[in-house]
Amino acid sequence: MPLFYHIIFLIGIFFLILNTVIYSRALYRNKALVFFTVFLICSLIIQLTMRYIGAVLHESNLYMNNVFLIIQFILLSMFYYHLLNKKMVLGLMLIVLVFLCYQYLSDLGLIMVYNPIGITLTQSILIVYTMFYFYKSLNTERPKFLLINIGVFLYLICSTLIFASGNLIFNVNIPQETYLLLMKLNAIFYIIFQILIFIEWRKNYYKKIHRS
Amino acid sequence: MEKELLQEDSQIIVIILIAIMVLLLMAVSLVLFFFFSRKKIIAAELEKANLEISYQKDLLHSTIEVQEEERKRIAQDLHDAISSKLNVVSLSTNFLIDGNLQDDEKDRTLQHILAVTTKTLESSRRLAHNLLPPILENFGLQAAIEELCDEFICSQKLQIDHNIVYTNLLSKSNELHIFRIIQELLNNSVRHGNATKVTLQMNEENEQVFIKYSDNGTGFDVKSVNKNKGIGLKNIESRVDILDGELSYDSKIGKGATFNISTNTPKQ
Repeated sequence: MPLFYHIIFLIGIFFLILNTVIYSRALYRNKALVFFTVFLICSLIIQLTMRYIGAVLHESNLYMNNVFLIIQFILLSMFYYHLLNKKMVLGLMLIVLVFLCYQYLSDLGLIMVYNPIGITLTQSILIVYTMFYFYKSLNTERPKFLLINIGVFLYLICSTLIFASGNLIFNVNIPQETYLLLMKLNAIFYIIFQILIFIEWRKNYYKKIHRS
Repeated sequence: MEKELLQEDSQIIVIILIAIMVLLLMAVSLVLFFFFSRKKIIAAELEKANLEISYQKDLLHSTIEVQEEERKRIAQDLHDAISSKLNVVSLSTNFLIDGNLQDDEKDRTLQHILAVTTKTLESSRRLAHNLLPPILENFGLQAAIEELCDEFICSQKLQIDHNIVYTNLLSKSNELHIFRIIQELLNNSVRHGNATKVTLQMNEENEQVFIKYSDNGTGFDVKSVNKNKGIGLKNIESRVDILDGELSYDSKIGKGATFNISTNTPKQ
């Protein structure tokens, strides 16, 4: 069973590396794209670090999850700030960041476990942004980043519940294999997310880069 | 694995899995909903744009048609009123040159030539006047409309009750459009409506010009006119369009017609 998990995890990482490389080449084209590319790069670094800490050093890597949560929220908020062109996005980002700081400072132990409230809050806000972007691109003929938006939307909706229930791993009564099922599901959604990002690049930037 | 899943504590994982699946289903249907609505909206917008284009085309066609009609009328007028009469003058003059005419015959011919030239002069003056009334240039819209009404009253035995209040609110070209609209309305009333009585009111309010026009002619069926507009009405409509104004009309067969026009364009 873990072998299967390793394989889908590696496929996800493969697509993530691929997307990071191809998006880095198209970086200069758009401000929103810059933040998305930085998001991909950060995702890659954090995923690899987590893997290294977990599999090689055999230590708990859950605090990286909290780091990722914050970085993901900041970068995707900036991404949607440029897509939606609404100052409200920045304001909401600051409020949530202040809240998260308060949360971590008042309970330092939270860093070493999953943070269900933080995960649900940040990812729900991002989901609302994706909905706004859907609405915005309703009457646009060729909206940019539509597939990325769909990817973010689907992945965040599914993974919110998975991560929010992450602390179940500490419940000794639940067998590791059963919990792994959720992680596998998450990895599969992650592959779908990365594939959608890849298709977006293939559709919009592949030709432009190879023409120039 | 199944046994494990059936354990009480694993039930929670099953519930989470079900919740994830339901969420996924809803998310996918939302994305599908988005795509279908987008398709519909874009189709509707395309249709709207096509409608706009066909309307513009229609307007262009009617403009060209009006232009051709006008040219035909001018050609006819030139031929009837000027060329044929100048022909008579030329013939009569030839007679005079050739001689062999008695003195009293010469006299009569000269009188005839004088009469024809005077008429031709009058015709050419009227022709030019119809094309662009000089009074509009020199004395403004109010005077021009009043003169137009007087002309109709004198020549067509039409009774016009007019009340015009206007103070240089519009630009010169827009004034001409207003003048043409009123000219067209009066022509239509006489030509198609056989009207004997017309009421024309024009006033200003909040930098807008309002025109209320009604006659007691035979009227028309609004529904059938909407489907198939004549050149006259199309002409009025396109001029109101240029003025960025609004046009509304009401009529019943046998009960005359009413037109309401308001402009929106302040003086440029």
